[in-house]
Amino acid sequence: MRLQRIYAAMFVASFQQAAQYRVQAVLWLLMAVVRPVVFLAAWSAAANAQGGSIGGYTVGDFAAYYVCLTLVSQLTMAWDAYDFEWEVRQGRLAPKLLRPLHPVHYTVVENIVYKVTTLPALLPALVLIAWTFQAHFQTQPWQLVVFVPSVVAAAALRFVFGWFIASFAFWTTRIHAIMHLYDRVVFLLAGQVAPLSLLPAPLALLSYALPFGYMLWAPAEILRGGMSFEQAMLTLGAQLVWLVLSWLAYVVVWRLGLRQFSAVGA
Amino acid sequence: MRYLRLLSLFAQTEFQFAVEYRANLLLDLFEEVVVVATSLIAVAVLFSHTGVINGWSLGQMIVLLGVYYLIQGAQSVVFEVSLERFMEHIRLGTLDFILIKPVNSQFMISTRHVQVAQLAQVLFGLGLVGVGVAQVGSSVGAREVISFVLTLACGLSLVYCVVLVLATVAFWATRVENLLAIFWSFLDAGRFPVDVYPGWLRVTLSTAVPIGVAVTIPAQAVAGRLDNLGLTLMLVGSVAAFIFASWFWQVGLRNYTGASA
Amino acid sequence: MAPPPIRVRKLSKVFKVHEREEGLLPTLRSLFARRFTEIAAVKDVDFDLAEGEIVGFLGPNGAGKTTTLKMLSGLLFPTHGEATVLGHIPWKRDRELLQAITLVMGNRSQLIWDIPAADSMRVLQEIFQLPEDRYRRSLDNLTELLELEPLLHKPVRNLSLGERMKVEFAAALIHEPRVLFLDEPTIGLDVTMQSRIRRFVAEYNQRTGATILLTSHYMDDVVALCKRVIVIHHGQLLFDGALTGLAERMAPYKLIRVSFAADVPVAHLEQYGEPIQREDGRVTLRVDRRLAPDRTALLVRDFGEKVVDLTLEDPPIEEVIEGVFARAEVLA
Repeated sequence: MRLQRIYAAMFVASFQQAAQYRVQAVLWLLMAVVRPVVFLAAWSAAANAQGGSIGGYTVGDFAAYYVCLTLVSQLTMAWDAYDFEWEVRQGRLAPKLLRPLHPVHYTVVENIVYKVTTLPALLPALVLIAWTFQAHFQTQPWQLVVFVPSVVAAAALRFVFGWFIASFAFWTTRIHAIMHLYDRVVFLLAGQVAPLSLLPAPLALLSYALPFGYMLWAPAEILRGGMSFEQAMLTLGAQLVWLVLSWLAYVVVWRLGLRQFSAVGA
Repeated sequence: MRYLRLLSLFAQTEFQFAVEYRANLLLDLFEEVVVVATSLIAVAVLFSHTGVINGWSLGQMIVLLGVYYLIQGAQSVVFEVSLERFMEHIRLGTLDFILIKPVNSQFMISTRHVQVAQLAQVLFGLGLVGVGVAQVGSSVGAREVISFVLTLACGLSLVYCVVLVLATVAFWATRVENLLAIFWSFLDAGRFPVDVYPGWLRVTLSTAVPIGVAVTIPAQAVAGRLDNLGLTLMLVGSVAAFIFASWFWQVGLRNYTGASA
Repeated sequence: MAPPPIRVRKLSKVFKVHEREEGLLPTLRSLFARRFTEIAAVKDVDFDLAEGEIVGFLGPNGAGKTTTLKMLSGLLFPTHGEATVLGHIPWKRDRELLQAITLVMGNRSQLIWDIPAADSMRVLQEIFQLPEDRYRRSLDNLTELLELEPLLHKPVRNLSLGERMKVEFAAALIHEPRVLFLDEPTIGLDVTMQSRIRRFVAEYNQRTGATILLTSHYMDDVVALCKRVIVIHHGQLLFDGALTGLAERMAPYKLIRVSFAADVPVAHLEQYGEPIQREDGRVTLRVDRRLAPDRTALLVRDFGEKVVDLTLEDPPIEEVIEGVFARAEVLA
């Protein structure tokens, strides 16, 4: 009961804060749209060079995929790793740990509020892209339904994994390198460069096995209508498995890191 | 010349500072390698499905990617940090110290913080260009090299002009960092030739955000695919842009110092 | 007779400030037609500085001191009026003039934080095109005057506030300027450092004969360094003359501080002057300046041996200044 009331209060505060950063949020959105558009243009040109489609994706399919990917990207964003490292370095972590509520809770609220407030601004941009590249969606109603748990799982996975990475800030101040490496791996294996099925065999195998594909590609492809029922269920299952694994990894590393942190001193 | 000596002094002092943080330098280098490598893989993935994109072969695409990193690297070496610091100067009120010195203020604020340490990215870019050219197998003679160097300088200058104009807006509206951040992110579009983009995007990337032109034209030049008309247009356009940007800077400066407009 | 190094005639600066109103309608309206208010920061200011003078420029916040300084250093264009510094019009920004002036701003730094001051100095050497021997001599001179030895090779970031100010001064003076504009140079410094900087400025002025225009909030700066003060408020000159003359002109009263052997009831003292303070047997009486000598004589005659100690003083300079400003507020 108490947790609910705390969450409610945090939501209100967070919405008020989000209102302050309206302009900045719109600008950040513009930036988020650039990369998918760049690759969409490249794939469209490539598909056209190959007579209209590559690996089962027409230009319209690519457009639909990248529109869905951009949406999923925005809905699953998690930036806590960056903030956390800064807080540890600035010595702002210690007071937060003293509070009875785990610091994670506030960031959950902040995260959700940001996405809710920026979504209305993103949609027109997506419509523009879909129109410019003639997107062709093959979505069926059941896929819309399955999309919901899939994108929530993806968001949770990205969130937890982000905190897992961030926890290494307990040991090193050079977490930037780790985070940039993480970004680049996500770039390659999560579906930004290409839908996973179009990656060359060794990379594709890697991406199906690792958690990164389930952060972006999975819900995007489901939303686009590119998966059969069996495939969608399998994918959802993989997302959940990775969610649990990541959460376990995070808890272990966080606890170890906390011990290390308090031993060394704030 | 005096300004060359100044430039080298700027480079020295900034480099000394960077070297103090050797570990960071090495990490930055490692990150660069990762970034370039993953970008190369991305291009390879694309070309595993097709031999040619809009008339660009794999080798030519690698050349383009190389030019992309060349331009990225060059602008972060020459003026990126300096112009960021300029906007801080306006915020903190320390621009006056620069204006009161007997030096050209545009030069000072554009190059004070030359980051020689970022040359690594330029070298990677150059390396990629070499690899790409070898892949393509075309002959690279004096004409190609000269037009490459010229168009590269023009491309860099075009990016400089846009960034300078955006930074100059700081004279009127102090919160310009966001505007610049968007611009930097749009540079990402330069990793592919400007002609893969549909209509209105292509126009934007050839004018307002000239990264498309800045990267594609030199890539064409070194591959021998740039005719004299294109070269002339690039040169004329860059000079015009530079004149405009410098003029706009003067306007901003006069406004700041309260000269009657 | 050489022209004065600083010469100011009817210098004025009017700022146009956009009115920003709250609410949706005014904001929309402002997209089409902006309303301005004009703020006269400096109004028809006249003064000259002689070679080698140190003049204090006094005024409350927003009085126009910094605006005037910026116009004289060429950083701001005036709305009308004239000024010359070393024979040049400052806002024309002639190279020759920029080589010979300098600006120090109290809580703003011109040094790059991450590198040692010595490196910034080298850049300045190149900017001012100082030949090596002249640079060396100037640097040695400043190092001696400011005790810079241990400070030049540490990154500026690592210096304390006072040390940073010393190094700032060195950077500002490396090119041996003939005119110095100092804007609140001791602000934020602790008392020891403030007096250190004051001593430095005085010594520098003695050694080089540089002309110095100094603005400050701290009366101690002005009292220590300036024989002449210019008082400015609401952009207008209120007083220009010797510091000692300031009290005479601006404050029409003096203070008699008298200590008695035994307590004297205040009522008995009221015929001599207005009692404004009493502590530990010491009474302070405020007396009209013209009557002061007579009243003093009367006190001594009437109380004789009971008078243990007596001084006749000008009111503290802060009070005088405050009085000046208060009067200016009323007039404004």
